[in-house]
Amino acid sequence: MQRHRLSPRRAFLAALGAAVLLAGCGHKRPPVLTATPGQPAPAPAEHLDRAPARPVDEGPDVRAVGGEGATSADLAGRTGSGEGGPLADVHFAYDSSALSDEARATLEKHAVWLQSHRNVKVTIEGNCDDRGTVDYNLALSEQRARAAYDYLVSLGVAAARLRTVSYGKERPLDPGNTEEAWARNRRDHFTVSP
Amino acid sequence: MGPDEATRAACRTITQVLRADLRFEGLFQFVPDSLLDAIPPLNADAPRFEDWKGIGARILVVTRAEVKGGELSVEVRVYFVDSGQTMLARRYSGRPDNPRLFAHQASDDIMTLTQYKGVARTRLAFTSDRDATKEVRSKELYIVDYDGFNPRRVTVNNSLNILPNWSPDGTSLAYVSYRQGSPLIYLAKVLEGRSVANLTGEKGDSQAFAPAFSPDGKRLAFASNRSGNMDVWVAGADGSGARRLTTTPASDTAPCWSPTGQEIGFTSNRTGTPQLWIMDSEGLNVRRLTNVGNYNDGCAWNPSKQYSEIAYTARLESGGFDIAIIDLATRQVRQITQGRGSCEYPAWAPNGRHLVFACNRGGRWEITISDREGRTLQTLATGPGNNVQPDWGP
Repeated sequence: MQRHRLSPRRAFLAALGAAVLLAGCGHKRPPVLTATPGQPAPAPAEHLDRAPARPVDEGPDVRAVGGEGATSADLAGRTGSGEGGPLADVHFAYDSSALSDEARATLEKHAVWLQSHRNVKVTIEGNCDDRGTVDYNLALSEQRARAAYDYLVSLGVAAARLRTVSYGKERPLDPGNTEEAWARNRRDHFTVSP
Repeated sequence: MGPDEATRAACRTITQVLRADLRFEGLFQFVPDSLLDAIPPLNADAPRFEDWKGIGARILVVTRAEVKGGELSVEVRVYFVDSGQTMLARRYSGRPDNPRLFAHQASDDIMTLTQYKGVARTRLAFTSDRDATKEVRSKELYIVDYDGFNPRRVTVNNSLNILPNWSPDGTSLAYVSYRQGSPLIYLAKVLEGRSVANLTGEKGDSQAFAPAFSPDGKRLAFASNRSGNMDVWVAGADGSGARRLTTTPASDTAPCWSPTGQEIGFTSNRTGTPQLWIMDSEGLNVRRLTNVGNYNDGCAWNPSKQYSEIAYTARLESGGFDIAIIDLATRQVRQITQGRGSCEYPAWAPNGRHLVFACNRGGRWEITISDREGRTLQTLATGPGNNVQPDWGP
């Protein structure tokens, strides 16, 4: 009768119950390899293909991943998104991109100002508070910026003078965790450039 | 004469890391150290298997290391205690500066004896504000080993760099950067140290978000507002030939691929609240997935064909967020996190046995890992700052 034998893999799985892991640390003599007769010899030395896998932050080239040395000064002008500026922020209710009466009134003032400053362009930056998820907040802030964009266009502002940027919850004005901070962060911010 | 200090240090690290790696895989139990005193010390050349059998060991893993001539050599042997049979014998050699890598390699080799692919050599990418200043509130991308060690910074442009997604071959990260003003998808070739800008070819002020490589690496799903509102699009991996998959006036975003590449999950607020939906990769056969709760986002489809399930972020009645998994066959939802503050943005390990996500506990966001049952949760010490939006690479 033929005896049923476990395949090595099956046998290994069956043995998963308990393992001992020991090392030759502090061994009395330097570690030497000995191939015991009847056992498979150790595999030939493998050079770890992914060992010191060229760390991404080594060398000047590599540090350039994703950026060619934009200075902080040039970014401050572009993404400074703080408070102030000639055009006041427009605020939103939680999880909403609907323009309130107050928001419409503010945008109507912006439209008037833009009629008298015909050489400026405006970037509408949509923002969320941090009580939502990353991806959906990016979509929500896109809707918020677009709501202002659409209303300004309906008031006669040339679309070519407007652009939108969605920041989601990635760049809050107020890092606080209060109702007040959240309310300040649910906003469209308007940056003006020549 | 005993081994020198360099050898002893390397050996200690390798033992420690290999033990942690195998423990993490969750398939092994370790014989308590206290029982080891009951038997004579190991003779590494000829283990007395009856001793090990006596303390309940089924498998014996013996590692030996030596640093010599600027090279670290490591030998790993795995024995069956019952039969004395050698299951695996490997020798590794290489530069001695990071012994952890040797242990990770050995762990993955030992895992080849099981039905699962090990994760010890995998890496995580994530977003952090750790290098931001008061003046420059930047977010940059970083890579760490799966256990949180060995952090490396990827982007250095002082802008916002978010939403990293690994190419399946592990050579590139697709991500979103604001460095040209508008959010656009970039591709960082992390081994070469260069990047491709505006991969999806957005024009005017259209924006692109949420890049997600298909499992075969040949296609890229993403969200773009180029048609007037946020929709899910699919292009070739080089960004060419983009096709729009969703057409509603609602926001459709955050695509995730099924393991076959034939279906795509995404978030849509077409019913008024953000919910997960599924469509085939041509944009047809659209159906709603989540029906519980009024806020579900950030799908992550288990990449293993063994498990038919999708992890996502769900808002609870308390207002916080938790990680949940929905079984696609039964539609049953199991909650993975509970009482850890707010958790979001799950991503799967390549073998589908663990999840990584970000949790905000005590005001700081940290990378957190769980097994797929939610039994063991651990916060990874990846470094300072808020660490968010993890993706688990090969």
